[in-house]
Amino acid sequence: MPVQGIRTVTAARNGVGAFILQCKRLDFHYCDWAGSSRGMVAYLKHHLPAFAKANPQIEIRVSPRPHKHPVIKGHYINGREKAVCVRNLEPEQIVQKTNLLKQASGEKLKRTKKPVTSLNESVRGIWSPYHGGLKSV
Amino acid sequence: MKRLQLQRWSSSVLSAQARTGGRLQHRLYNGIRHQSTASPAAPTANDQLIEEEPLAPSIHPPNSRQSKYQLPSPPVEAARESAKLAALHARLYLPSRLPLETLARSLVDASADPNPKFNNESLATLGHDLLTHYTSEYLICTYPRLPLTVIFAAMYAYVGPKTLAAMAREWGVESAAAPGGEVDPGYLQFKRIPPGADLKPVTGTARPHEDQAHWRKSITSSVVYDNEFGDPVKGPKNPSEQSKQDAQNIKGVTAEQANATFVRAVMGAIYLHAGRPAAKRFFEQHFLSRHLNISDLFNFSQPARDLSRLCARENFEQPVARIISETGRKSRHPVFVVGIYSGQDKLGEGAGASLLEARSRAAVAALKGWYLYSPLNVRVPSSMEEEGAAPWKPVHVDLGEVIV
Amino acid sequence: MANCLTAPRRPLLALPFLLPSPYECVALGLRRNQSSYRRTKQRLRVKPDASFGSSLSHPQEDHIIYNPPSSAPSVYHTPAKFLPSDDIRRNLRAASVNGNNAESLPPAVRATTEKKYHLNPSDIREIRRLRATDPMTWSRLKLAKRFDCSPTFIALVCEASPQKKEIQKRVLEAVQSRWGSKRRMAREDRQLRKEAWGRDQ
Repeated sequence: MPVQGIRTVTAARNGVGAFILQCKRLDFHYCDWAGSSRGMVAYLKHHLPAFAKANPQIEIRVSPRPHKHPVIKGHYINGREKAVCVRNLEPEQIVQKTNLLKQASGEKLKRTKKPVTSLNESVRGIWSPYHGGLKSV
Repeated sequence: MKRLQLQRWSSSVLSAQARTGGRLQHRLYNGIRHQSTASPAAPTANDQLIEEEPLAPSIHPPNSRQSKYQLPSPPVEAARESAKLAALHARLYLPSRLPLETLARSLVDASADPNPKFNNESLATLGHDLLTHYTSEYLICTYPRLPLTVIFAAMYAYVGPKTLAAMAREWGVESAAAPGGEVDPGYLQFKRIPPGADLKPVTGTARPHEDQAHWRKSITSSVVYDNEFGDPVKGPKNPSEQSKQDAQNIKGVTAEQANATFVRAVMGAIYLHAGRPAAKRFFEQHFLSRHLNISDLFNFSQPARDLSRLCARENFEQPVARIISETGRKSRHPVFVVGIYSGQDKLGEGAGASLLEARSRAAVAALKGWYLYSPLNVRVPSSMEEEGAAPWKPVHVDLGEVIV
Repeated sequence: MANCLTAPRRPLLALPFLLPSPYECVALGLRRNQSSYRRTKQRLRVKPDASFGSSLSHPQEDHIIYNPPSSAPSVYHTPAKFLPSDDIRRNLRAASVNGNNAESLPPAVRATTEKKYHLNPSDIREIRRLRATDPMTWSRLKLAKRFDCSPTFIALVCEASPQKKEIQKRVLEAVQSRWGSKRRMAREDRQLRKEAWGRDQ
């Protein structure tokens, strides 16, 4: 048997070819009675239909949660979820929070040290002391 | 490469009146590869199958709250009401010509609903053939010298069940705890294999003397008897064994199998509803765009011997290992850089802690250099199906891998 | 190198822990930018090299600088000898400068021996007879020395008798039974490392 094949799995590169939005579900919780939900109720009435129309790839659930502060919860493809409390916020501020949840990847926030990461190998290869302009002693 | 009869299949999958429905697909799916374009299923055998097929569960009862619980899978009308399903449709940027009902059907596995008119088996058959067709033509045209074992491994990496299951996860598809008519159609529905059940190796293949486990299986024979990934596959079976197959389906499938079948079914559904260009585009965007380093798929056992045979076959000068550079030979950790030369030309080079290791690595590099040759401006045969395609120029066909 | 040269020139004020006032910190920020700019410019000043191309003779002409990477060559870069005859890259590489000649080739790892093909069928019959009659005396190495060929050739021609193989197996087992855990593990690791060469790991 001269050469054998090694079985592996291809690695996903989201955005190369197809892009899959990582936020798959947004839950909107509000309270009809409490004052802290006033902005949230206004948002649900006036802004949410347009948001849902613009982002059909996100499943949206709206449910009351009496006697609690309003919360927006984002569920992500990697299985994590991210919740933002929007008590006493104006509808415009809630628009920003919703966009934040929509654009998040679901990963834990971490500091990016390198601006670019890539699976492709570098064009010039990994530097080696035994190649290039060797000087003979 | 397999000859595809897409028009004929698509008609049988699309029309609700196609009586042979799942059975024909089943035979094609499980059958060995056929060299001729003739229909693999004999007409008489098909007629018998139709007679034996039970007609009772062909129509689902009307939608009502009580009857939903009796159905094995969600009713067709529920697809329009599922937010999950619509979100999945939009997330994958599926063409609008692909209706939600078909997407819902592609989420129902054969283990959840054995009725071939409501499960995704036929769609998955078509999708699997399209995927393997597009992948194999891409691999063979781009790397014409790849050995067959590596082609099998690359096919497995691109469209193998493990990759497809990972893709379904990355698409955000969730699976239902148990299938049923009341379940949201946006969930993947399949009957799970009970925990602790042992997965038996495939038996009943078309390979002669398959019970002789210690016999050598040549790679060439796996082209004939095995599937696209070099795995054993069930041979064509007679109708009496069909019931056994159904019983096995009722037993359940693994989550990986069900997810892979779903991804294949989506591919088949796009082909049927949106046409060939859309299917090709979907393949390129979702499957071909994934990252695979083909040079990592090689595993040589005797690279120096293979390289020597290769040079003899191609009438090159015999390969000679030469020391390009080295650090202190008597030190504790020396490094040797050895190049393999054939005449004046360097074929490959490698570095190692001993002369033997460096030579072996250099031979591996030289063999990879040979096998990973890729012509310029590669075109695949299916690009001729586009409108206004340039005249076809034959692709590079290689002599084949090194045989020792 | 550049850092070593610039470090002594940096004023003492640039040490931040000696400077508590915010005014100086602003000055420090500016200073930092300047130095990194200077560093960048210094890096871009590459000395012309022979490998860059024929720019020395025509310095005013536009040309492409060819600066080969100091790294091991990629396996995706097919050697010119492996390109098929109809590939356009073959001619392109032949046209490029290639200063290789026989004298500049590095030394071989081991001397190549010319094959002699001097044994005839009667010799081979003799080899087989000796190996069959007295396998303990006539080992592969001894036969190779006597017939002036390689031990590999002896292995190609004939095979040891089953009794001899059994004896050899028992000898090996006796030797291995005296190995401790360290030696056994080291041997196994060596074998695993050898297998990893073929996977290029």
